[in-house]
Amino acid sequence: METLGLYKDLESAAAAAEALVQGGFAEQEVTSISSAPYPEGVLVKEEKASFFRWIALAGGIIGAGAGFLLAAGTAWLYPLHTGEKPIVSLFPVGIITYEFTMLCAILGTIAGMFLEMGLPSLKKKIYAPEISLGWIGISVACRDTAMQTQAQEILQNTGAVKIQNEGES
Amino acid sequence: MSNNQENAPKSAEALQKELTSSMSRPTWKWFLLSGFLGLVIIWGSIAWAYQLRTGMGVAGINLPVMWGFYIISFVFWVGLSHSGTMVSAILRLVKANWRRPILRGAEAMTVFTILVAANFPLIHLGRAWKLLYFIPLPNQRGLWPNFRSPLLWDIMAINTYIIGSSLFLYLGMLPDLAILRDRSTGWRKKVYGVLAMGWRGTDHEWRVFARASTMMAVLIIPVAVSVHSIVSWDFAMTLVPGWHSTIFAPYFVIGAIYSGVAAVITLMVIIRRAFHLEAYLRPLHFDNMGKILLVVSLLWSYFYFAEVLTIWYGHKPIEWEVFRYTIEKYWYLIGLMVFGNSFITIPALCFKKVRRSIPAMLVLSLFVNVGMFIERFLIIVPVLSHRNVPFVWGHYIPTWVEVSIMAAAFAGFALLYTLFAKFFPIVSLNDVMEGEHYKSEVRLGRGRLNTIITED
Repeated sequence: METLGLYKDLESAAAAAEALVQGGFAEQEVTSISSAPYPEGVLVKEEKASFFRWIALAGGIIGAGAGFLLAAGTAWLYPLHTGEKPIVSLFPVGIITYEFTMLCAILGTIAGMFLEMGLPSLKKKIYAPEISLGWIGISVACRDTAMQTQAQEILQNTGAVKIQNEGES
Repeated sequence: MSNNQENAPKSAEALQKELTSSMSRPTWKWFLLSGFLGLVIIWGSIAWAYQLRTGMGVAGINLPVMWGFYIISFVFWVGLSHSGTMVSAILRLVKANWRRPILRGAEAMTVFTILVAANFPLIHLGRAWKLLYFIPLPNQRGLWPNFRSPLLWDIMAINTYIIGSSLFLYLGMLPDLAILRDRSTGWRKKVYGVLAMGWRGTDHEWRVFARASTMMAVLIIPVAVSVHSIVSWDFAMTLVPGWHSTIFAPYFVIGAIYSGVAAVITLMVIIRRAFHLEAYLRPLHFDNMGKILLVVSLLWSYFYFAEVLTIWYGHKPIEWEVFRYTIEKYWYLIGLMVFGNSFITIPALCFKKVRRSIPAMLVLSLFVNVGMFIERFLIIVPVLSHRNVPFVWGHYIPTWVEVSIMAAAFAGFALLYTLFAKFFPIVSLNDVMEGEHYKSEVRLGRGRLNTIITED
């Protein structure tokens, strides 16, 4: 279960995040929600390793294979002899392979990014439209109701304008 | 020391209101403009339909000038598409803080110009329905695309670029779509909601978003370079005098960046005026874009000089004949091109006053693009008119069909851009809002300085 506290200014939001960590919540249980990014550590700290680049790399490798097979593979499959020229022409195959590599790496980047973000989400997650107006949300994942009560108290004490729990709108 | 009021951070709400001014209820002027553009597109479509029905004879292309306005336009529009995404990607990578209001407009320009460009090979094909045979799909005739042809490389490169630059544009818009979802009602809320994919703006989402933006910027730059290199190879891979040159790929890439940067400046002037974005697209942005334009104009002039010098010094009879013919027949076009692209642009852009003058930058950017269109014409038409077989020398004059289709292309681009600005913020909300966080003011000695905080 998640609880969200909304703040109108950065300093109060940062103080809330700090208070939650001081209050026993793990750093990875606390996150910020904002309409514009803040540098690492301004609100919360993330220690998760990113994996989407591996998907981009995999996309690139698949693309290289697909491009090579399309240009060279089909030439081998249906050989067309033209004078003394080789069936598989190196430079054209290289160019087609390159374009497919880049295309699939781009598609891999986008797919990997959404996968890592967990979007699109099938489950409705905690959110408040006021965030779009520049408010900052500090969200905390609570393991039980006792922790949720504690989180609400901390958010209240640090000046949250609005507090909502998961499932409430 | 700059104006302190200009540097005072604005609230997110105030920023969003100003930056989404283009999305307000359309006025009669908007309908008038869209209607006019629509009429030009309809006229161009009628001209194309006439060509499809009657045959390619209605176009001015002939033997030997088989590439005319359609291919000139194709090269021109691909060139324009070059810089939007590329400028945006480079500015993102170097984290230039002034980039923020420029990115969205430049990225959108790329997508729409490349979409316009992609129509021209189809129109030039004559029997457009035969396009199917370009696509590697097994068919009952046993035809298979010949990947040794640069035209096939073109199709692959342009499709990669269309997909890549569209995704690059979409990626940058993702957080803005969530803002629009939260601020809108009715069908718009549903559409923005679907496009926003459930974006909330968590710290984790922002981190991944930033890394993915960097990754996309890294990937899109080599694609952009490859696209215009391949367009140049449509020419350079032939043994035609005047085309068969190793310098063609870098020369085309520089030319494309040149016309693209100029087009971004032209659009910046129009957007600034039309949507009252004077507070965001400031003289500083024109100054910086002017510096980029100056560097690229020097590079373009250097490449052009190197190409001409080599032909002149070598004096190979076949190449020289084409060159001599070009100078004799099209001296006024060469003059206009060199004037617009080098003689006026380079000295003018050396002056800060000119770079910071918005009317002057508009005039210079238009000069460059007129010059670059002429350059495309001079690359194609004189060479084909006067090739190495004298008994098929000829000349080319475009017909009303070609001119109408070209006008429709300009109108199509303008309409797509106008519609885009009506439904999406033409200036990136999240980028500008991020920039606002970094604004600060410090006291130094007796003065107060505006500063921008940067991350290590």
